Amino acid sequence: MTDGEQREALVRRAEDEREEIVKRYELGLDPTNIVDPWENPTFEIYHITDKYGFMHDSRLPTTRNSQEMQLTKIELERDKKWMKMLAKWPPPQDKLHTRVYKGIPKAVRWPAWKKLLNVDQSIANNVGVYPRMLQLAKKYSTETRQIDADVNRQFRDNLAYRERYSIKQCSLFNVLNAYSIYNSELGYCQGMACVAGVLLLFMQEEEAFWALNTLMTDQKYGMHGLFIEGFPKLTRFIDHHDRILSKIMRKLHKHFTKHNVDALLYAIKWFFVVFVERVPFSLSLRVWDIFLLDGDRVILAMAITILYLHKDELLRMKDMDAIIEYLQVKLHKNFGYSDDDAIHALERVMKKLKDLKLDAPPPAKSNEFPTRTLGDFVEADMEKKIGRRRNDYTDTEKQVITDVISRQEQNAIDVQSTVSYETSECATVTLTVPEDSHSIRSSLAGTSVASHGSSETMSLEDNNIHLKTANMLQSTPQREMLLGT
Amino acid sequence: MTARNPQTLMALPNEENFDFLFKIVLIGDCGTGKTCIVDRFKTGNYIERHGNTIGVDFSMKTIAVEAKQIKLQIWDTAGQERFRTITQSYYRSANGVLIVYDITKRSSFSNLQKWIEEVRRYTASNVLIILIGNKCDMETEREVDFEEARQMCQYIPEILFVMETSAKENMNVEDAFRCLATELKRQHDANNVEAVDENTITLGQGKPLKSCSSSCNLT
Repeated sequence: MTDGEQREALVRRAEDEREEIVKRYELGLDPTNIVDPWENPTFEIYHITDKYGFMHDSRLPTTRNSQEMQLTKIELERDKKWMKMLAKWPPPQDKLHTRVYKGIPKAVRWPAWKKLLNVDQSIANNVGVYPRMLQLAKKYSTETRQIDADVNRQFRDNLAYRERYSIKQCSLFNVLNAYSIYNSELGYCQGMACVAGVLLLFMQEEEAFWALNTLMTDQKYGMHGLFIEGFPKLTRFIDHHDRILSKIMRKLHKHFTKHNVDALLYAIKWFFVVFVERVPFSLSLRVWDIFLLDGDRVILAMAITILYLHKDELLRMKDMDAIIEYLQVKLHKNFGYSDDDAIHALERVMKKLKDLKLDAPPPAKSNEFPTRTLGDFVEADMEKKIGRRRNDYTDTEKQVITDVISRQEQNAIDVQSTVSYETSECATVTLTVPEDSHSIRSSLAGTSVASHGSSETMSLEDNNIHLKTANMLQSTPQREMLLGT
Repeated sequence: MTARNPQTLMALPNEENFDFLFKIVLIGDCGTGKTCIVDRFKTGNYIERHGNTIGVDFSMKTIAVEAKQIKLQIWDTAGQERFRTITQSYYRSANGVLIVYDITKRSSFSNLQKWIEEVRRYTASNVLIILIGNKCDMETEREVDFEEARQMCQYIPEILFVMETSAKENMNVEDAFRCLATELKRQHDANNVEAVDENTITLGQGKPLKSCSSSCNLT
């Protein structure tokens, strides 16, 4: 076979694969659509599924306690208020603000999220577009294989997505596949399945498609910049996150640096999917409510809130493994604070950041938004069709690699400077780094040692962030480690 | 290429009890089972339906090799090409790399060359690579013969050995990490004894297969 023939054969193979995958989703739950046994777990529906449809290892309590009954009563009251408010949209800003921060009741999340994301209007403005994108995707999307793999593992512990080729799984596949054509510059990036998956828990297929588009392309959310090649928004947000930490939680920032906990490790998932699967699902929905109302700075504030609420615990941990495990696994299982308490803390952190003029990161560059016209069909090149990994690197990619590496090297310098500081009695630190933002960071870290690390507590607690300490934190006895340095 | 920082190979004082710390990175196409392999090794469990890995994930496990405690710092990476800009920076200080392909997906095998090039580009010259053909429990769907993988390795000197695993059936997963850890320790011991520049140490390709205590060689 000549080179050309071989490539043709590979393209054909990729096309066949796509066709096969699409066919399976079209069949959906049809009995002729036979799946491997592992794709469909058996489950015990009546005892272990929570109100969001997530399944749990142990049975949920059969009776509800008085606190839960009370919450249900409050939620029913709120349903009524929301129904009225939705009928007279848009409501006064302050009223909407108060109600969203209290949490949108589950029963009205569907209409409320649609309003916040302008879904009905998008559909009205784009009649016929979604079905067309869907058709094109079935024939031309180069992302189908990746999307299929991710649909097969997204929220499989949730009732809606549990069964292979269930209605919601098919919708998720369709939305992502169609979007990879509609926004061809973005295509599909891992993480988007989770975002679309959340939307689909509350919306119909086409609604979720337009909601996803708003999240990606609207200035307020700008998630396109998070997922696009080179991840420009991720870099911008992580830099800003570091800046905030170094200013108001110096001790924790230094602790993380010392143990090589780069924000890149824990914050990618936080930012990409807005805390889903990193805090309990009910809390992540509360954060989503606020994110949909107030936009992307909520993400930065929530990241700080999590670290703030758990900083004592985190400071006690002496290695990277424990810290990462805590942030990625433990907080998802048990956040240690009620959703209401966590959201109150978030509100106060947002106010504090605003007072300190740290709430807004530097503005987005143009590369964070689509440059191609959305919905214009562009056929992919040969390599993309085959699905081979590329050898060459684009300039954006090279830049990102350089940035990430210099970030790691800077961390290493910071570690050395803290270590040398800690071991010497001397009060001044000589840094070999050039006079730029990094040296300021290092000297800030130094200052916090000099003042015995109390500055961070002051800077946040002066602002009256007082919270009831949850059981989880009370049960850990010693605090002297905290004052160790 | 930067020389290995000896710091990363040395036991750190004042920490828990281990003698060596090695950094291991898992790479390979999406859906080849990297996360399942790490989970199986770390917790002994197999989780059927994992979420996808976004960026990098990190875990640790300490094992005993030749009467020494070896702590493995394991970095599990996202397979989607877009993430390579982030994941590659984690290769740099790696002591060992596991490249994972799926024996039931030809394409994941065809991409190996690209993965190896990425490793070459971003790691120290003495990094040890092992090749893992995962999902070997799915014999009926096999698209890549073990012999073929073995032959490929002969042309790629950096690869220490190739091994087929099943995270699902718990076959060879522990062995893969153990062999790699053993070899890393030996490499380190040899460096110390000879006290020469690390970069001048040459790694025997044939040696590991024979000297490795467990059965790497599956046909």
